[in-house]
Amino acid sequence: MMVLRTLQRRPLHGYALVQEIKRASNELLQIEEGSLYPALQRMLKQGWLRARWGVSPTGRRVRLYQVTEAGARRLESEVSSFERMLEGIRLVLAPVKP
Amino acid sequence: MSWITDLLRRRRIDRDLAEEIRQHLDEKADELAAGGMPREEALQAARREFGNPTLIEEDSRAVWRWTAVEALAADLRYAARQLRRSPSFTLATVLTLALGIGANTAVFSVVNAVVLLPLPFPEPDRLVAVESIDIRGGPHPTSLSYPTFFDFRARSRGFEHLVSYRDNQFTLSGFGAPLQVPGAIVSWNLFPLLKVQPALGRGFLPSEEQRGERVVVLSYELWQGRFGGDPSIVGRAIAVDRLPHTVVGIAPAGFNFPVGRRRVQIWTTLARDAASATVNPITEQRGARLLQAIARLKPGVSLAEAHAQLDGVAAGMVREYPDVYKNLPRTSVRPELERMVGDTRWALFVLFAAVTLVLLIACANVANLLLARTAEREREFAVRLAIGAGRARVVRQLLSENLLVALLGAGAGILVAFAALSAARPLAGESIPRIELASIDTRVLAFSVVIALLTAFLFSVPSALRVAGARLDRGREAGARGSTDANDGFRGALVVVQVALGLTLLSAAGLLLAAFLEVARRDPGCAPEGVLTFQISLPDNPYRDEKQAAFYESLLERLAQVPGVISVAGGVPLPLTGQQMQISFDIEERPAPPPARPSSDMAIVTPGFFKTIGAPLLRGRDFDARDTEDAPPVLIVNQAFADKFFPGEDAVGKRIVPGANSRRNQSMKREIVGVVGNVRQSPLGAEPEPIYYFPYRQLTWMPPATVVRAAIPPHALESSVRAVVASLDKEVPVYEIHTLDEVLWSGVAKPRFLGFLLGSFAAIALALTMVGLYGVLAYSVARRTREIGIRVALGATRGTIFGLVVRRAMLLVGIGIALGLGGAVAGERLLSRMLYGVGPRTPLLVSAACVLIALTAALAASLPARRAASTEPVEALRME
Repeated sequence: MMVLRTLQRRPLHGYALVQEIKRASNELLQIEEGSLYPALQRMLKQGWLRARWGVSPTGRRVRLYQVTEAGARRLESEVSSFERMLEGIRLVLAPVKP
Repeated sequence: MSWITDLLRRRRIDRDLAEEIRQHLDEKADELAAGGMPREEALQAARREFGNPTLIEEDSRAVWRWTAVEALAADLRYAARQLRRSPSFTLATVLTLALGIGANTAVFSVVNAVVLLPLPFPEPDRLVAVESIDIRGGPHPTSLSYPTFFDFRARSRGFEHLVSYRDNQFTLSGFGAPLQVPGAIVSWNLFPLLKVQPALGRGFLPSEEQRGERVVVLSYELWQGRFGGDPSIVGRAIAVDRLPHTVVGIAPAGFNFPVGRRRVQIWTTLARDAASATVNPITEQRGARLLQAIARLKPGVSLAEAHAQLDGVAAGMVREYPDVYKNLPRTSVRPELERMVGDTRWALFVLFAAVTLVLLIACANVANLLLARTAEREREFAVRLAIGAGRARVVRQLLSENLLVALLGAGAGILVAFAALSAARPLAGESIPRIELASIDTRVLAFSVVIALLTAFLFSVPSALRVAGARLDRGREAGARGSTDANDGFRGALVVVQVALGLTLLSAAGLLLAAFLEVARRDPGCAPEGVLTFQISLPDNPYRDEKQAAFYESLLERLAQVPGVISVAGGVPLPLTGQQMQISFDIEERPAPPPARPSSDMAIVTPGFFKTIGAPLLRGRDFDARDTEDAPPVLIVNQAFADKFFPGEDAVGKRIVPGANSRRNQSMKREIVGVVGNVRQSPLGAEPEPIYYFPYRQLTWMPPATVVRAAIPPHALESSVRAVVASLDKEVPVYEIHTLDEVLWSGVAKPRFLGFLLGSFAAIALALTMVGLYGVLAYSVARRTREIGIRVALGATRGTIFGLVVRRAMLLVGIGIALGLGGAVAGERLLSRMLYGVGPRTPLLVSAACVLIALTAALAASLPARRAASTEPVEALRME
């Protein structure tokens, strides 16, 4: 979900993606690099991402991932179900009224 | 479907992924290096943080669902390489499996075609064979007479149709050379019974059974071949046995009745028998039993019901005609398939058992080989496990290797099966009905493949378990101390089992072969070499009685003049063919009422017959020119006849009144004028049959088969024979041209075939056992090289080492033989039905089998033993 959102803002390659998520979450979230590529491949297979070769800011030949329409739709549905779940948890965890 | 395109783009995606990950690591390393770390360290740190790139690549690739297929493909490729590297193992295993599976597949195909395949007619399980049961000499099914059949047909209630049939030969003439074709004489409703529609025209009508009717249905093949497929033939008349017969229909292509090897070309109604030439037509002779009958059960009627009802009819007939039916009180109604196949069914299952034994031996061998191989490669597996291969992967590797070998074995086995089947058909000849239908069909193929897979799987399991469960990190080296282990014991047990099975097979084969030799060697009572036989067929019009006798006499005279001919005569039935004519007679000295009269085989011969076939004249005289139809009626009997009916007396001079007579002399007393040696009528019978012989001129029933003894090879006479016959009447066909040798040979086809088959199996079993024993011993010796080296170093002589190995081998073999003896005895009991006169020699044969196995085993053991004995202690100890 977070990968999709991050890539929605702007297409990135694998390493940059990891750095971006780390930065955007104020270092609270750090993706384990080992599970990144399998996840990317899965999303590629599902058709939520598109990949193409390009050049990174540092001049390397990298593979850039981009969210597709289907990916965007998926992201929306995931976000909304996540927010619903969050609402539910919040209600349950609400402090006891004195 | 997208996975197909995925598969195709796989390579590119692979490359992309690899490069991507490389870049990732580079970038990461750069970043760390930029922070001050030296490049090398940065790279290592990056890698550590990232994780195992190979594993990650694999996981990523796994997303695209390649893993299963690709892994399998990789396993198989690797397996193929491994197998190529040990050709002897591969060859041995594949061969072993091929033989076992091939034999099994072939026999299964035969069993399938002969026993399991239903008859080629609609609702074949409703077709039943109807026979009378003769209670003399143990109840056995026997043929029907026409009046019996008519009564059954009229009075039975359980059948939709009841049809009679009997084989006959017909001569077609009128254009081209006269053609002798196999045919059948049937009652009118053959085609409705079988629910078969003729391809053209129609079947028969009930009215066409009347005397004087002459109609035929032709087979499709005959119609195409002889009449060019001309549809206008239906409705026209053709000359059959020189009389015009109307063709009313053509049978469908491939149709054959009666079902069997003989391809019937022409069917006619029983009107033909109603018009037969004796005083009373055969259709009115209640005692003339010559028909077979087949019926279709009425819908809703069970076989038991129909049978019971027919038995009631038979009981009624016994009351009506006690003289005729006294010995035929019941009927036999059983599925037609069972009647056709019944006898062979048992023999085939014996075969199947034998072949399964071979397969078991083969599997034991394969198991041995697989186990030995796995044990050899323990080191390899240990290494692979140590460097991180998953246990599951290694086990899968092992399984796929064994699977590949098993599949190769199955493939080779199918080839073997094809070859075996093509060889079996001509060898079996007539002895196994419907064998021509046997083919390797998909069921059978699936059966073989399943066996192969089962074998591979079953025998991989112990190895796989060892690999998966063993703590191989302890590093078991080849040739380590501890010379024997559980594995050795298991393999030893397998060898014992093999030897036992092999002995069983070998004894059974030996017994059958002995039976065959016994039968083949039995004195036929004549001298069959150098004698040619042939048949001619003379239609009743114009050849009856005197005309027939005259024709035949001229034939014999002219044949005698052909250069190379020593003597020529005629006789029917021919000896060694198994054909018999039984007629009862009355002995003048001891007359008896009709039901109690003795009966015996009879034959009709011309003068010089015995001399021509080489049967000795023991007393009295042969027939000669004196014995014409006006001369006193005479007979010749064989020794068995004389011994049975006139024991201790001289049969010459006695008189008997045979039930068979020509038209002129009814109930005539005949004097026995000679006694000849016993000539075998049936090649497989235990005892020579009593036979009494009529002179042809005094009982001119049918033209006899002609026998010609020549100084030149008999087959060279064939064209002269045809020329002579044609010179007398060119419409007379000549057929069934064989030498007497050939007749004898085909008579023993069945025991020969079985003996040969079982002999082959036993040979295969022996070979397999030898290979198995050799394999076990060789491996065991190889493992104990160190121990042997030490022994030699400590002073053991070569002889001692040799003896060590051989002793172990013979111990195994001894146990196997002991077990196998039980099997041999059981086998003999099972086979006793087919062992013609071998009985007393059984212990000798079984002992011979034991000795043979022991010798073979000793031979198999000697090679590894020699190798062990020639071990150089220094080398052995250095092997670590």
